[in-house]
Amino acid sequence: MEQLIEELKKEIIEVLNLEEMTPADIDENAPLFGEGLGLDSIDALELIVLMEKNYGIKLQNAEQGKEIFKSVRVMAEYIQEHRTK
Amino acid sequence: MSIYIQSASQISFQQPLCEKWLDEPILPIQSFNQPMEPDYKQFIAPAESRRMGKLLKRAVATALDTLAKGGCEMPDAIISGTGLGCVENTEKFLNAVIDNEEECLPPTPFMQSTHNTISSQISLKLQCHGYNSTYSHRGTSFDSALLDAVMQLQLGRVNTALVGGYDEMTPAYFKMLGKLGYWRDGDVSIDELKKDGIPGAISGGASVSALLGNKNTQNALCQLVDTEIFSCNSVEKLQNKLHSFLNRCQSETAEIDAVMCGLSGDKANDDVYRDLLCKEFPTIPTLWYKHLFGESFCASGYGIYCASHLLNAGKVPDLLIYNGKFEKFVVNNILIINHFQNNDFSLTLLTKCHN
Amino acid sequence: MTDIVITGMGIISALGHGVEATAEALLHHRSGIGKMRFLKTKHADHPAGEVPFSDEQLRDILNISNDFAITRTSLLGRIALKEAAEMATLNEESDARIAFISGTTVGGMEKSEQFYRDFLENDDRNEYIALHDCGACTDMIAKEFAGNISMQTTISTACSSAANAVILGADLLRTNRADIVIAGGTECLSKFHLDGFNTLMILDSEPCKPFDKARKGLNLGEGAAYIVMESRAHAEQRGAKAICQLSGCANRCDAFHQTASSPEGEGAYQAMMAALRDAGLQPADIDYVNAHGTGTPNNDESEGRAMMRVFGNQMPMVSSTKAYTGHPTSAAGGVENVISILTLTRNFVPANLNFTEKIDSLNFTPVTETKTGVQLNHVLTNSFGFGGNDSSCIFSKIK
Repeated sequence: MEQLIEELKKEIIEVLNLEEMTPADIDENAPLFGEGLGLDSIDALELIVLMEKNYGIKLQNAEQGKEIFKSVRVMAEYIQEHRTK
Repeated sequence: MSIYIQSASQISFQQPLCEKWLDEPILPIQSFNQPMEPDYKQFIAPAESRRMGKLLKRAVATALDTLAKGGCEMPDAIISGTGLGCVENTEKFLNAVIDNEEECLPPTPFMQSTHNTISSQISLKLQCHGYNSTYSHRGTSFDSALLDAVMQLQLGRVNTALVGGYDEMTPAYFKMLGKLGYWRDGDVSIDELKKDGIPGAISGGASVSALLGNKNTQNALCQLVDTEIFSCNSVEKLQNKLHSFLNRCQSETAEIDAVMCGLSGDKANDDVYRDLLCKEFPTIPTLWYKHLFGESFCASGYGIYCASHLLNAGKVPDLLIYNGKFEKFVVNNILIINHFQNNDFSLTLLTKCHN
Repeated sequence: MTDIVITGMGIISALGHGVEATAEALLHHRSGIGKMRFLKTKHADHPAGEVPFSDEQLRDILNISNDFAITRTSLLGRIALKEAAEMATLNEESDARIAFISGTTVGGMEKSEQFYRDFLENDDRNEYIALHDCGACTDMIAKEFAGNISMQTTISTACSSAANAVILGADLLRTNRADIVIAGGTECLSKFHLDGFNTLMILDSEPCKPFDKARKGLNLGEGAAYIVMESRAHAEQRGAKAICQLSGCANRCDAFHQTASSPEGEGAYQAMMAALRDAGLQPADIDYVNAHGTGTPNNDESEGRAMMRVFGNQMPMVSSTKAYTGHPTSAAGGVENVISILTLTRNFVPANLNFTEKIDSLNFTPVTETKTGVQLNHVLTNSFGFGGNDSSCIFSKIK
């Protein structure tokens, strides 16, 4: 799990182009949207693509993402349970 | 009502966001030229710019610099020209569509590929709810935006309008346009570009903007008498258009001190100007700018930018003179002529501010 | 202020070719949305408002041979321009200054996405490189009308492009820079923007349901439409019949988000209010609003909120015709200008198809049954684009 969290942090930084950040800057328990990392609706769409591309998980709509993208940890847990690759 | 160019700025392969090209120009040595990037952090925070492609960053920086120099926090209108929109993002998304066979595509490059992304990004940055438009008409994209801004001012709808021309040249697009004969082969020099009868120009990309306003502020660069775009397919019609334009500006060819043309070194392009200049302005100095800023769909914006700064500086560096000599030291009126493939034309008359 | 009249219009969309086919479909609740037949895409299961003609059939309509390089966007544009020019009795000998203003965003992309690898790797499709950009598309359409266009330009403000073409046209007439303006837009379906809208998750996998509580997204469409505008004096002088007036129009920016509208529809509100001021009309004067109404959760609520701010409790009849035509993006304003003019001159209001339940936060329901024999004097039509480019046009019966 911890390894998946690290991997995920790196992928998030890359796909969202968070140039000035390192994985250490991301608190896996902090909210990704709003207060924590301050991501927005377009980032959510990018994360949906990331889930499909890297882990074979296809979300049906953006609403579903809201629950899953609560924090990096929640995301990792969801991936571990549902990944197809 | 009079219209003034309050300020004008640029990013190009000259030094960015300044007028150092007047004294210390950078001379091109090849066909493919990339802009010199300024430090964007002073204009856009990293978190804000993380989704922006290079062109978008350039456009926002050029726009903000222009507004700052014009002493304007919020323009009443934002009007841009872009011949190709954000090509880098378009290519990114297009390649993804092809390579991934339409699956797992990233939304950001699509969202940032649209032509009006630029005008809207500037409006977002400024929170400007005013008139907002984007023109994408090849070599007269900037000219169309300029005309729209002039009309908004003439109709009394706005007091200020930010006009810009933004285009980027990627290696792939450069290659494609190269097949159509756009570019010079091999090494390039100013003398080579001036030589008659050779096809091809040098590329540049564009990020150039001007703030128009109806007040003669102390810092205004020059006055814009009028501008016009038109389609035309013969030199006779072009001459008629020229005369009726100058007539409307209550000016005559004899009062023009210099003609600024989109001469690029490409024979097909330059012949159109040469023919007209020879017939209408045989004794008036011709100026050019594309040898310092390159060819792109919005290159004509640099014509307006350069002419404004020349009128303001009250001098014309030799490097900008294509041919002819200045009899008198003062330059009062500059006529700017632009055409695209001898089909779409624009005329603009700029005059020195009379304080 | 110059009185601007409309003397011609032309249209091709999912509803077919021509003004009459369009009116027929609207009056008979016949939607043009269905399975795509011509665009070759993996996502063909998404319903769309595809023009029911192949490229070859479009070429046939125009008598263009198969070896002449032209994009689908330009073919559609030429067909619409031809009809508009004929209705307005524009002839090529006239010395009137005719401006052609066309909106497009996709331009030649539908061909470029097929030939892109050729563009870079061989010389097989070089003739299409020069046809890729938006301006080339306009230029190819103007050539249908050779020798007679005194100025042309292209507007690219995404889904409000055609509406902004009309607004520019009005200003060209008002500043006496043109005698006649042909304005509108053209767009064909492409994988590029179908896939793009899909990544934004705003496509409905079923026919769209504008203003319905359960709406899920939009269906893309394609088409082209132009109107011919001139001053009343100019039309009278050349004996052209005025169909109706363009009484006002305006463009404002939402300045909220690149692809989403603000919750209170600030840009939309300002555009509608400015168009009313431009027309010298009060909100209560508007009899029908042809809404942008794409069917996305975000647009319809935002537009609805903006309309509530403009019209309060006196909401005029409202419908979106996107469930007939799909969303023809840059051409939408053109298509809906023609539809608005049809409703005004033929006194009907087309039904907002697929509507079941009102959106909670809105105080109105759209018209659900086509109404005929209604007296309409002023019709307002909205066109909103990505980037918050919001525009409104108002058409009125001839005074």
